[in-house]
Amino acid sequence: MLQLESITRSFGDRPVLRDVGFDVPRGALTGFVGANGAGKTTTMRIIMGLLTAHGGTVRLDGKELGATTRPDFGYMPEERGLYPRQPVIDQLVYLGSLHGLSRPLARQRALDLLERFGLADRSKAKLESLSLGNQQRVQVSAALLHDPAVLVLDEPFSGLDPLAVDAMSSILRDYATRGVPILFSSHQLDLLETLVENLVIIQDGTVVASGPAETLRENHADKHRLVLDGDTGWLREVPGVQALDISGPEALIRFDSPHIAHQVLTESLQRGRVLEFSLHRPTLADIYREVIR
Amino acid sequence: MNSTPAWLTVTLREVETKVRDKAFIISTLITVLLIIGSIVVTSFLANRTANYSVAGGDELSLAVLYQAQQDQPDDVDLSVQNIDAGRARTDLADGKLTAVLSAGADGGFVIQGREEVPGKLTGLLDAAAQQVLTTRMLESAGINPEQLPGTDLVSVELLEGDAERNSMIQAMAFIFSFLFYMAALIFGMPIANSVIEEKQNRVVEILASAIRLRDLLAGKILGNIILALGQLLVFLGVGLGAAWLSPVQIPFLGVVFQVATWFVVFFLAGFLVLAGFWAALGALAARTEDLQQSSGPVVTLLIAILFVGIYAKGTVLVIASYVPIVSSVAMPIRLLTGTVPWWEPVLSLLIVLGFCWLVLVFAERIYRRAVMHTGGALTLRKALKLED
Repeated sequence: MLQLESITRSFGDRPVLRDVGFDVPRGALTGFVGANGAGKTTTMRIIMGLLTAHGGTVRLDGKELGATTRPDFGYMPEERGLYPRQPVIDQLVYLGSLHGLSRPLARQRALDLLERFGLADRSKAKLESLSLGNQQRVQVSAALLHDPAVLVLDEPFSGLDPLAVDAMSSILRDYATRGVPILFSSHQLDLLETLVENLVIIQDGTVVASGPAETLRENHADKHRLVLDGDTGWLREVPGVQALDISGPEALIRFDSPHIAHQVLTESLQRGRVLEFSLHRPTLADIYREVIR
Repeated sequence: MNSTPAWLTVTLREVETKVRDKAFIISTLITVLLIIGSIVVTSFLANRTANYSVAGGDELSLAVLYQAQQDQPDDVDLSVQNIDAGRARTDLADGKLTAVLSAGADGGFVIQGREEVPGKLTGLLDAAAQQVLTTRMLESAGINPEQLPGTDLVSVELLEGDAERNSMIQAMAFIFSFLFYMAALIFGMPIANSVIEEKQNRVVEILASAIRLRDLLAGKILGNIILALGQLLVFLGVGLGAAWLSPVQIPFLGVVFQVATWFVVFFLAGFLVLAGFWAALGALAARTEDLQQSSGPVVTLLIAILFVGIYAKGTVLVIASYVPIVSSVAMPIRLLTGTVPWWEPVLSLLIVLGFCWLVLVFAERIYRRAVMHTGGALTLRKALKLED
């Protein structure tokens, strides 16, 4: 497990990270979300040892990682880039050997990955001649080449077409299953919904929510959905009920106490037929909007 | 697993990428051909002797011609034809003769040519005629011309070596200066550009997470030094080899060989300093375009060195031979005179190596801070304020 504890960092007088702490467990995908400028990239750079934290620690399986290189980590930086004018295979072999692979092994791994991404026939092409989506696949290949012990990916899904998103998801899933801790940032909340088991939400340099997605959903499942055969406008007048969204027969409401829920259901039944009364399960997008408010 | 140190992997990549670059191969080959060509042409021109066949129509003309034959310089081969005027005319018309010399009525001479008379021949005959006439006049006055003060009464002695050596020094000064200038640009600029490329593309983040930035920078500089030195050795080798093989006796070849070795050593030291400059400049820039502005001072410095190398003499040259980077050309040029004691180049080398160490430590600091910086180009002052 990769653990961050009380990480702080500022640029000049401007604090960018304040007491950032969260876990990236093995066997699960951890999504990292937050607005632009919230501190995602800075956090990832600190994990990768590219930036020094002013306070706090990064630990892998309990062992503290200093401000050194992390040749056994796989990293995909925010602003993409490899060498545009170099053939794909050449730069992958180069990066592989910098990560400690022998050249033949690096070549073998690179070809396997390119094969998996459907790019085997482009291995000798210059990177700049590839489409953006394909360049992205090469970029991911670069992060995966050396069979990393930890994966840190900054926006791996941005700019990918639906098929590439599927390929990327399946690869990430694959590595997670092997027990590699994976942290990746994304703005595509709907994608995270089905993909991640773990979520970290950061806002203004502070972690505002983190943990297993299921737990977050449960913790934020505090709203009810009520559908009647008549108008639900009367709910606005009931004390102890927060009417969040009321339109005709449908209502999304929050109760101040379970007792009030019971009271509302009783009254609804008296007024007519109750078509639905359920605990509303929030999406990760719902949770995100709620916590960063 | 791979046991190759990271810096070596980087070095190999720099070298490999460059030697696979067609433009680089072609420009190197062209330069090699130019070097060989210029040496062949020079030795051909030096080797060519002019053959003149001149007929004399009378006793006086023949005396002048024999005198000229005696005085002819190495590159002139004058043959004298003693034939009558009629045949001389037809031979001249047929091109068998270069010219016909005959004494005129007014005590002068006439040189007859077909279309033109080479200036060299005219000059030679003119001098010979004067000598013959002077001797005859003196003899008719009863004076033995050998008793007259000779022309070689005053012999020339130069304080700074002889004329031939000086022109060799001048030629070599130009060659050293130009080679250094070229290599500093051809192999220095790519250090900056490759730093910018990695910074601009953010590859540097992947690299920096895998290996230390110090190793990356060291590999980059080392790779380009190997390339620069390799090319320099090829150029010097081809040039000196061709000069050695050429049939013409080129003077001072031994000295030049010796000094060329010193030049390679000084070149290395000077280039290492410049490599530090280029790396720092590359790290400060945000885009390749920024380099065009920021490289100005370095390029100016290089041009200044080129001029110092070509034109500096005396005290200026002595001072220059101790100033780091400039010394890379100035000291080898001084060594060509053969009068510099051994400790001078050693001292100068120590100075430049010390300076080199300072520059590289400083450049590495700038590089490490600035290369991870995103956003616009940095000034030196801003870069020093950055932290890791």
